[in-house]
Amino acid sequence: METASFQFIFFGLAAALVSNFSRSRAWRSTVLMTASVVFLALLSNRPLFFVPLAFFLFLGYAGYFLIARGWSKSAVWSILAVLLVYAWLKKYTFLPEGLFIHAPYLTLGLSYIFFRVLHLLIDAGDDTEKRIIGPGAYILYTLNFTTFVSGPIQRYDEFARDQFALAPIPLEWSVVGLQLERIVRGIFKVNVLAMLLGTAQQDALLQISQPFPLTHRLYAAFQIVVLYPFFLYANFSGYIDIVIAIARLMRVRLPENFDRPFSASSFLDFWSRWHITLSTWLKTYVYNPLLLALMRRFSSIALQQFLGVFCFFVTFFLVGLWHGRTSEFIFFGVLQGGGVAVNKLWQLGMARVLGRRSYKDLSKNSAYIAFGRGLTFSWFALTQFWFWADWAQINGLCRALSAVEWVGVWLVIWVCASAVLAAWEWLRAALLSIETVEGPVFLSRYARVIYTTALGLAAYVITVLLNQPAPDIIYKAF
Amino acid sequence: MKQSVARSAESPQGAKSPRRDWLLLSLLSLITICILCASTELLARRMFASKGSVNDCMVMNDPSTGIRAIPNSVCWEKSPEGPLVEYRFNDCGDRTDVECGRKPKGSYRIVIAGSSIPMGARVPAEKTFASLLPAELSRQTGREIEIYNAAVYRERPPALALRFKEILAQQPDLILWVITPMDIQEVSDSMPAQGPQKSGEGFLEKSLNRAKEGIASGRFADAAGDIWSYSKSAMMLRHFLYSSQSRYTQSLVMGGDYETGYLKAHPSAAWQDRMRQLDIYAAEIEAEAKSAGVPFAAVLLPNRAEAAMLSMNRRPAQFNPYELDDELCAMVTSHGGIYLDILPRFHRLLNTDRFFYPVDVHPNADGQAAFAEVLDKELTGGAIPALKSKGTTQVPSTLER
Repeated sequence: METASFQFIFFGLAAALVSNFSRSRAWRSTVLMTASVVFLALLSNRPLFFVPLAFFLFLGYAGYFLIARGWSKSAVWSILAVLLVYAWLKKYTFLPEGLFIHAPYLTLGLSYIFFRVLHLLIDAGDDTEKRIIGPGAYILYTLNFTTFVSGPIQRYDEFARDQFALAPIPLEWSVVGLQLERIVRGIFKVNVLAMLLGTAQQDALLQISQPFPLTHRLYAAFQIVVLYPFFLYANFSGYIDIVIAIARLMRVRLPENFDRPFSASSFLDFWSRWHITLSTWLKTYVYNPLLLALMRRFSSIALQQFLGVFCFFVTFFLVGLWHGRTSEFIFFGVLQGGGVAVNKLWQLGMARVLGRRSYKDLSKNSAYIAFGRGLTFSWFALTQFWFWADWAQINGLCRALSAVEWVGVWLVIWVCASAVLAAWEWLRAALLSIETVEGPVFLSRYARVIYTTALGLAAYVITVLLNQPAPDIIYKAF
Repeated sequence: MKQSVARSAESPQGAKSPRRDWLLLSLLSLITICILCASTELLARRMFASKGSVNDCMVMNDPSTGIRAIPNSVCWEKSPEGPLVEYRFNDCGDRTDVECGRKPKGSYRIVIAGSSIPMGARVPAEKTFASLLPAELSRQTGREIEIYNAAVYRERPPALALRFKEILAQQPDLILWVITPMDIQEVSDSMPAQGPQKSGEGFLEKSLNRAKEGIASGRFADAAGDIWSYSKSAMMLRHFLYSSQSRYTQSLVMGGDYETGYLKAHPSAAWQDRMRQLDIYAAEIEAEAKSAGVPFAAVLLPNRAEAAMLSMNRRPAQFNPYELDDELCAMVTSHGGIYLDILPRFHRLLNTDRFFYPVDVHPNADGQAAFAEVLDKELTGGAIPALKSKGTTQVPSTLER
């Protein structure tokens, strides 16, 4: 069953329907467990395929159990063991090839399970109430089919609050309507928008490799850089829309993963709007503890600001590194970490040069915001090369244009992104300012029904009637 | 435990839904669908208008010759993606300005046999490769070269074999059999597989007929799918989707064996069987040409699928667009004919995708010009001694694939 396919959505809706037959938490948990097991079973009919995943889950629970029982000395060893087994199962290239399991096994969703398990291990020692999560709840949390494939990375306390609530969160018809709308929006994003954007980028890749005139290749390069972030956004956020809506219909609120990322006016801001659950997780479990530790070690006040910059670099380097096991992703991590660190240094430098108040005023200037937004987008778009391409492809792209031409393309993208994204922000604000007593006209249920019907019809026609294959969900590979 | 932000998408506006909204919202949804469908269809009909049909000039079901054009007939066709095209057939029923039967003294006549692509379907006669080639061939060889285009729309190998004597009657100095993958796909059809539509048959008539068939056979879903495919909306959407080379290729890779089997590195049993059938017809017509003392050459013109495969940087492992070319070469030469391998030259042309109509997949005027360019090089490269270019001093070298 392909994720974001109509089968997956019907499966999720069926699970949600059955889950609502009773409000009892036992019933809802049984349905979620059954649906998750069935979902896994649909991935493969060979039990051996699941053994490494089962081992990883067992290891995680054993570590958690020991720590929660008060064996705090085992915390470091448990976390290290989980990290090592994760790297081993994901076949990270720094490990010797001979150590890997060569029979096929399931790694789908492992990266997201890894975060859930690690969060339980780290927090187990901090839990002052010493409540121990039972194995059933642990399995339910880690294998929840709505977050299994590509997140969002939900914390256990948030999951338990809704899943095991004596009185489940209400589900009015209006909420059901909104979730159905969100599913349609998700299908449209993945099956139509991402498909078209991905296709256009692939076409541009074909064009740039041919001996066309320079203007033609420059335009192809522009498309290659610009289209991928939009493709990735449509692909990933569309999938997230679908699973958040299905979970909500099962009376569980999943955390949001995107908050209009291309509206971000700085790279730091961007990473608080893009893949939010990942960056939040790393800020909580890497940035904060690392900064605290360094501040304890280096007490100089002058140094503390730069410690923050360093911690930002490390955190977002890890964000990049998490995405893959090859050297391309190490470089991707350096570019993410570098982008965030330079952004932070810029903030510190500008505040020092202009003074805090003047810099604050400058930060509110619409032209400054627009160029910041454009720069954020163009930097993120450029760094994506190390996300979707391997070194051979990157080398080919570098040879297609000279270094000066690439810089030129990037500058044009910066200027265009500044103008287009500012225009979009203005248009959006203008449209939302058209209001009735109930609120913005374009958010009314009538407007929503119209555009949801239009998006649904487009998705149905293109996916089903024209039989167009949708792109795979990119983030399920991680 | 630490808290993370979980924002809710539940708008306060959605909190209250009056009962009348159940009806109102459903109605709104229905109206949206109707307006979108109607406006898309109207737009598609305006953008992709079609009128007339070459079929009006064709005799479809003559068992003695298969499909053929009515001699001295003229008809017009505006296909959805192409321009308005005149089809004018001479007194032998061929789409050529060259006089039927009589060859001017001293000229070298190439007679082209094949189906719609060599006939120049969807393209004005003066822009077909058969019309473009003579001037360039004459210039290169220094002799008067004439091309008699005897290709007939939807004429598959069995029908060609049936009327091969008519081709020999055109006094050819060379017969050039232009093969397309479609000819092999439908190698067993001496008649068109489906009764081709006449120009008068519109969307409603076709849809009604298909609906009746669907009801009679009980296969409603298939009928509904077909009716949708008759609409101009479907055509327009396909046109825009398939304008993208990578999208077209992705759809192609998903296709069944019938559609893509000839592109596979290891053709299926069904395709091997088609090749065996083609071999029988090839042997028959090549033997006839040999006994008439006429040199016989064959060439495979790539269709859009092959062109797309050729230009892919990384081909799926199971595909090899040269496989069919190699098999045809072996087949034609085994019967004593000459095979012109144009794929390597075609591969070197830029952006070959623009040579084809995205949905119709026939070559457009640019495609016909590209075929003329590569055929000219291949014909004058030394493979046909009589056509060797004045500048050619050595036998043609095999281009790297």
